[in-house]
Amino acid sequence: MRILDQSRFFSSYQCDGSRCFYIDFNHKTVKMSFCQLLSFRQKLLNIDLDSHFNGENSQGIEILMLCNKEHLFIFNTLEILDLKKLLNNTFTALEINSMIAC
Amino acid sequence: MKDLVRQNLSIHVEIMDLLNKQIEKEAHSSSAYLAMASWCDHNALDNSAKFFYDQSLEEREHMIKIFRFINDNGGTAYSPEVSKIAHDFNSLEEIFETALEQEIAITKSIHNIVYKCRKVQDLASEHFLQWFVNEQMEEEQTMRRILELFDLMGTEGLGLKLLDERIPGIKGGA
Ligand SMILES: [Fe+2]
Ligand SMILES: [Fe+2]
Repeated sequence: MRILDQSRFFSSYQCDGSRCFYIDFNHKTVKMSFCQLLSFRQKLLNIDLDSHFNGENSQGIEILMLCNKEHLFIFNTLEILDLKKLLNNTFTALEINSMIAC
Repeated sequence: MKDLVRQNLSIHVEIMDLLNKQIEKEAHSSSAYLAMASWCDHNALDNSAKFFYDQSLEEREHMIKIFRFINDNGGTAYSPEVSKIAHDFNSLEEIFETALEQEIAITKSIHNIVYKCRKVQDLASEHFLQWFVNEQMEEEQTMRRILELFDLMGTEGLGLKLLDERIPGIKGGA
């Protein structure tokens, strides 16, 4: 397993053997196909962080279901910020890897 | 390290994001044209109504075309939510002017994705989008031709009725 990115709370890996990705959520590691990773990324992109600060989502809690509702996570504002960064950096790492490959 | 992204996805991830945004825009256009069809129906402009019903279907086809392109190439297309559709118009002329502006905005959006394709060297998506570049030229021309009729025939009364009768001959015609 190769590490793709490590943020303050989480890390992401790629496994060549199983052609899968892993996200380490600290207490739990989730295996994801590329398609599931894309969907996770999309869910994070859709989270409107402004709502955490303008009172709309005063608790600052986000509930995310991953991998077709197999996993359920509850994140606070700080963790969401961290995850957004993780996924962004993970896809940058993947893009750099694609560039090296060609 | 294996290039798992490339194994799974034939197009660039950021292009996929932009194409998903384009899906939303095509869906919005489709609904906007449906609202225009409704206005024309209520104002007894039958040919214009038919024109916008057809236009609405076309936009939906554009949407599906992009939707399938993303999925066929290993990406994930998202079914769009549509909001903020205008239903109030002052005149048929205003409707066609709004339609032209909507098409111009879509053209610009398509062009922006093509520029991005060139930047990230996504030739497959650029080639796919070429069809849309041509389609947009035709769409703009149609709307422009109809707007010219208003200058010729006027915007009310008998002129407006006659103009409505000319609508079916415009698209794809001379
Ligand atoms: Fe379109
Ligand atoms: Fe169009």
